[in-house]
Amino acid sequence: MFAMIIRRMVQLVFLLIGITFIVFMAMHIAPGDPASIIGGPTATKTDIIQIRERLGLDRPIIIQYLDYLNGLLHGDLGISFQTNRSVAEEIWIRLPNTVNLAVASVIVSILIGIPLGIISALKRNSWLDVFSTTVSLGGISVPHFWLGAIFILIFAVHLKWLPVGGLHAPFWTPQGFKEIILPAITLGTGSAAMTARMTRSAMLEIIRADFVRTARAKGVKERAVIWVHCLRNAMIPVVTVIGLNFGGLLGGTIITEQVFAINGVGRLMIESISARDFPMVQGGVLLIATIFVVINLLVDIVYALIDPRINYD
Amino acid sequence: MKKSKKVMGLVLSVLFFIGLVLTGCSNQSSESSSGKSSGKSNTPQEITYASTSKVVGLSPIMTNDSVSANVITQIYETLFVKDPDTMEIKPNLAESYENPDPKTWVIHLRKNIKFTDGTPFNAEAVKYTFDKLRDPKTGAPRASLLAAVDTITVKDDYTVVIKTKQPYGPMLAALAHYNSSIVSPTADKKQDLMKKPVGTGPFMLKEWVAGDHITLVKNPNYWKGAPKLDKVTFKVVPDVNTAISMLQTGDVDFLDGIPAEQWSRVQGMAGVKTLKKTGTPVSYLGFNVRHKPFSELKFRQAIAYAIDRDAYVKQLNGLGTKSNSIIGPKVFGYDPSAEKVGYEYNPEKAKQILKENGWEGMTIHMLVANTPGYMKMGEIVQDQLKKVGLKVDMQTMEWGTFLDVSKQDKFDITFLGWSNSTADGSELLYPNLHSDNIGASNVTAYNNPEFDKLVNESRFTVDQKVRKKKLDEANKMAIKDAPWIVMNHGVVTLAYRDNVKGLNIDPTGEWSLYPVYKE
Repeated sequence: MFAMIIRRMVQLVFLLIGITFIVFMAMHIAPGDPASIIGGPTATKTDIIQIRERLGLDRPIIIQYLDYLNGLLHGDLGISFQTNRSVAEEIWIRLPNTVNLAVASVIVSILIGIPLGIISALKRNSWLDVFSTTVSLGGISVPHFWLGAIFILIFAVHLKWLPVGGLHAPFWTPQGFKEIILPAITLGTGSAAMTARMTRSAMLEIIRADFVRTARAKGVKERAVIWVHCLRNAMIPVVTVIGLNFGGLLGGTIITEQVFAINGVGRLMIESISARDFPMVQGGVLLIATIFVVINLLVDIVYALIDPRINYD
Repeated sequence: MKKSKKVMGLVLSVLFFIGLVLTGCSNQSSESSSGKSSGKSNTPQEITYASTSKVVGLSPIMTNDSVSANVITQIYETLFVKDPDTMEIKPNLAESYENPDPKTWVIHLRKNIKFTDGTPFNAEAVKYTFDKLRDPKTGAPRASLLAAVDTITVKDDYTVVIKTKQPYGPMLAALAHYNSSIVSPTADKKQDLMKKPVGTGPFMLKEWVAGDHITLVKNPNYWKGAPKLDKVTFKVVPDVNTAISMLQTGDVDFLDGIPAEQWSRVQGMAGVKTLKKTGTPVSYLGFNVRHKPFSELKFRQAIAYAIDRDAYVKQLNGLGTKSNSIIGPKVFGYDPSAEKVGYEYNPEKAKQILKENGWEGMTIHMLVANTPGYMKMGEIVQDQLKKVGLKVDMQTMEWGTFLDVSKQDKFDITFLGWSNSTADGSELLYPNLHSDNIGASNVTAYNNPEFDKLVNESRFTVDQKVRKKKLDEANKMAIKDAPWIVMNHGVVTLAYRDNVKGLNIDPTGEWSLYPVYKE
């Protein structure tokens, strides 16, 4: 296990260097010039040339990349073209909001998805099963921006129970809890649906397995059969889905952040891509990629904990 | 039995979703009066504004976007200001000025004004600010504002002398532009004004959570007297629907730039008032005159006859006005007689011209930025051109890419706008249609030496009467020559809670919170 972790960490470094290269080149090759965006339509040719010089964009691209890489090795993510602030600082301000939102929506998806999936599997083909699978299908299909807007109209504007938007405290504080409810449900619905479907199919497979029949034959109580024998074994694919979802949520909170006016990393990325703020996009992608890879590693570790048969050595 | 239960489950889930949709829809139309109590004398003097994008920075020298400008204009001040109603340029930090000769501007400054860091406001500060803005090393996005300036000298503590290379007509308009706001030299040498601004204005920065909100507090020593508001919060709410919901619940006190499709929703809200004014922005269809037959006047006329601009303006719900004139009614250089010069909707005439010249069935490459306003413009014009027998191949792209592509020779027609933030006609015609700027801001590549001459004459004289006459002539020449077809002139808007008093907006879309208070 330990050797596996070390091996994966070494892989990670090379993977991330590769990512910086791809993102750097993609941003520079893609159409759109940061200087003309900063200058806007009013800029003259001279204005644009001067801005390019200030940003260092007049240098050869390979020199710019090596410069960037050198900064990275010294822990410097660079300075935003747009705001003149350090990229690390800009991301650092927003990261807690995105993590807050992602964690809260994973909790929502687990709280809704797993029970729904278990009930569905146990009461297969009953009206409960039809209800839960239809709701799951709906949950996957409904677009976030629509669901968010509807939630705002019902619970914030009409009933006035919850704030319209903003996130200024961690979700376990009273203010943060009130602020996170709607965004977390909006974002969590899709992954709850996915978790429910995954739990259902995994449970159905396990319920029919020989060892479950043996357990029942031995006279083990039905509750113990479900919770101990079935659920634990059914959890492996479910954990994979939740883990991948969480990584996806960190990068995919953009729409929810837009609708609920949450100052998160997703929104920062969209703004930075539109503004061709190269250092900011590179920093953001690097961060999201790192988190994604680390989460995958954690998921693999959790596998081993859930299923003792899995041995990476 | 089992089957009927299954059906029940299905029905239940369908009802669940229908219920969700209906509750949402019914709430959309129901207007609830709500929000904070109004009419009390002890109302906290705090106000919140929401913008859909973030503030980039708070240095007037280094920024060039309207959202940052909204905050900058509360913190800093300019030597001259535009009257929000008459658009007349009046002294502000300046007391008076004179032109001993057409190339010299002697500006007398007000005394006893201090920046909020205690630095005195004087001729040194003015020279420092303008030299920094002009310095190529600074790379300021609007360095071109002062491109005409040759030297700036300090005559005494409160007199600054600006010499221009040629007589420069739009000088006062340039000095009234927010990018020419005066900064504290002490502060600029010590810190990054993008993050820690210091001006002479009525408010000062208290807190800034990048991308989320900015809080300003009153400057108690403001030279015109402290403002009535104690605190101002600028929130970022990227989704305009959410921002309007916040206005409805009272989480936000005012919004500007309401989109046309949301105007009726805002107008119908209880406890919310609206204000709209004819503005300086202009939106246009531009021909790439480097391409044939777009280089031919006859062809451009045919297109102008084919476009029903009344129909287009109608769907703007009153947030746009139809005009033939390139220089709009709120911009210096406008004369109402320009309205009679352009080409009115006449599809028969358009068809006739196209037929006579063998242009029927031709395919036009239309380049459109994918923002809702331009997309709508593109779709309507595409439809109207089809009706006169032209084929339109519409290519849409994201703004950053569009800015690049539109400056190259890769389109036949496109749509763009100009905000006219100096409200001076020379600052509209020179960047957009003068041959000096082909390849940059003159995207149509319009090149007419006679027109260039008139625009130059409007720029290189300080006699405002002569300037107005030359601008009018240049304007009419361009309308007849039709490198642009004006789609509409903009309307600037505000929506605010009814307990907010003293809020006004000028035709360029700027507003000041100095006179504002809450009841």
